[in-house]
Amino acid sequence: MLTDVRPIVSTLRRHRLTATLLVLQIALTCAIVCNAVFLIGDRVSWMLTPSGIAEGDLMRIIVSDIGPRRDLHARVEADLAALRAIPGAQAVTVGNSLPFGGNAWNSGLKLDRSQQSPSATVAMFYGESLVETLGTRLVGGRLFRPQEYAWVDDLVAGKATSSHVAMMTSDLANRLFPGESAIGKEVFVGGEPVRVVGVLERLPAARVGAREDVNNTLMMPWRMVPAYGGGYFVRARHGEAAHVLKDAVAALKRVEPRRVIVEARLYSDIRGRYFANDRAMTVLLAAVSVALLVVTALGIVGLASFWVAQRRRQIGVRRALGASRTAILRYFQTENFLLASMGIALGMALAYGINVLLMRQYELPRLPWTYLPVGAIVLWGLGQAAVLAPALRAASVPPVVATRG
Amino acid sequence: MLKMTHLAKVYRTEVVETYALRDFNIDVKEGEFVAVTGPSGSGKTTFLTIAGLLETFTGGHYHLDGVEVSQLDDNARSRIRNEKIGFIFQAFNLIPDLNVFDNVEVPLRYRGMKAAERKQRIMDALERVGLASRAKHYPAELSGGQQQRVAIARALAGSPRLLLADEPTGNLDTQMARGVMELLEEIHREGATIVMVTHDPELAARAQRNVHVIDGQVVDLAEEPRFHAHAHTAHS
Repeated sequence: MLTDVRPIVSTLRRHRLTATLLVLQIALTCAIVCNAVFLIGDRVSWMLTPSGIAEGDLMRIIVSDIGPRRDLHARVEADLAALRAIPGAQAVTVGNSLPFGGNAWNSGLKLDRSQQSPSATVAMFYGESLVETLGTRLVGGRLFRPQEYAWVDDLVAGKATSSHVAMMTSDLANRLFPGESAIGKEVFVGGEPVRVVGVLERLPAARVGAREDVNNTLMMPWRMVPAYGGGYFVRARHGEAAHVLKDAVAALKRVEPRRVIVEARLYSDIRGRYFANDRAMTVLLAAVSVALLVVTALGIVGLASFWVAQRRRQIGVRRALGASRTAILRYFQTENFLLASMGIALGMALAYGINVLLMRQYELPRLPWTYLPVGAIVLWGLGQAAVLAPALRAASVPPVVATRG
Repeated sequence: MLKMTHLAKVYRTEVVETYALRDFNIDVKEGEFVAVTGPSGSGKTTFLTIAGLLETFTGGHYHLDGVEVSQLDDNARSRIRNEKIGFIFQAFNLIPDLNVFDNVEVPLRYRGMKAAERKQRIMDALERVGLASRAKHYPAELSGGQQQRVAIARALAGSPRLLLADEPTGNLDTQMARGVMELLEEIHREGATIVMVTHDPELAARAQRNVHVIDGQVVDLAEEPRFHAHAHTAHS
């Protein structure tokens, strides 16, 4: 394939402007597509962040009760009893937050009461039997004991005292206590001392600021009530979530017909909404990349077709002088390979330049070098595919064209 | 070396069949210099394209260097063109984007020859036509005569068994044409087999043997009154 390189380079030098334009187009496509694919990969990997909960079986129903806030605990107990009675409902509770649920409760966490600024900002999760309902995994220590739970409204009103225990995720534990167990350690949340009794595998925050803090979460034994920002979390038996959601809404309405159902969604829907912007950006980037690749492919087809038409007699002469059809096909493929290679080399440098700019302007991560060879292979492949039809047309030029034009 | 027997070439369209060659017979021996003459449209160029394996034929037989070529596939025909035949075209047919050296190199590249041997052959061929000093020039920088000399060098570089020339001086002025013709005669004296198509009786007269083609057939000149009249005019 490379036997034709010198004459091809010599020919390209004589068509410098057209060759340069195509090389620039390939370079720009390479640079943009490499970065776009990287950004797509980054977004997709973010969207696939594991939550560690039973996503397919969970749902959230938020209600707003009309009338005076009396008998809050009795009403919650009645609601929970009604939800538990639904065929297919496996576990129910009232909780404040769901991973990627949107409504975040954050608090500053200090390792020492006298610290000026917190060691971490943590997302707080409250709710009785929340671990069991969500289906997240305990990897160290223990769950909360029944006597450790207190009603949130009682805590706010000062009618109850916190049991001062908490569970945290292994990510947060490793960050706060690297190389040692977090179990039994004391931290300060809202100025109050809290002892870590359990470590959870993961529990992403409801709304994430920096991605590396996604699992900076802490769980405390508070019984939530809807009036204080809680929602009913129901975990259905596998495959029964859709009908359990309908039945749950009906059951809650039966308990209190005048209440307003503010939200009733499957967790998949909640999570989908959280990542809607990322998904839209991914689709947009993919569309731009595909459009660029198509335009580049068309550019290659156009230029190759023009050159084949322009060199028709020359191809006939080559055939007359002994070039086989394969040799002609190879000539155009090699020519495209060389142009693509020049474009790719320039494009790689440009890709890094764009990446550095994005890193500075938008705090994006560095483009891993592995994207470059992948981008190169894609563009080489695209070039070869695009040049195939014109090259086959060139190969079909008969040798007699040398004498008859 | 080149033998065609009852050869026919028919161009078919939906409504008409045109015989470009009909019962065409010719036998060119090794070392001969044959001029093929005839009026425009007589079929002499068709003969040359078939002789050079640039086109297939419809019927009859064609043996080139002892090989019946009608059954050969495209690759085999390409190989024979490359190894046994040297072409000299009326329009020179040099590749404008390649310099003289690269132009002469074209057929040698298709032979898969090593670079050192290619270079040796190219320089020998350019020496032979007196253009070694122009190796880095592009065709557009040369006169018509020089371009045809490069084309001859390209044909010679592969040491072909047969040299086919299609009106080799047709695009040249008298002086340049004379130079090219002298070169062909010299090449012939050194043992090459040359078949030259021309409509110029003066050039044809310098060949060893003339073959006249009319209406796609080789005719006997003695029995062709039109040729006598034409020859008489030309020499008077």
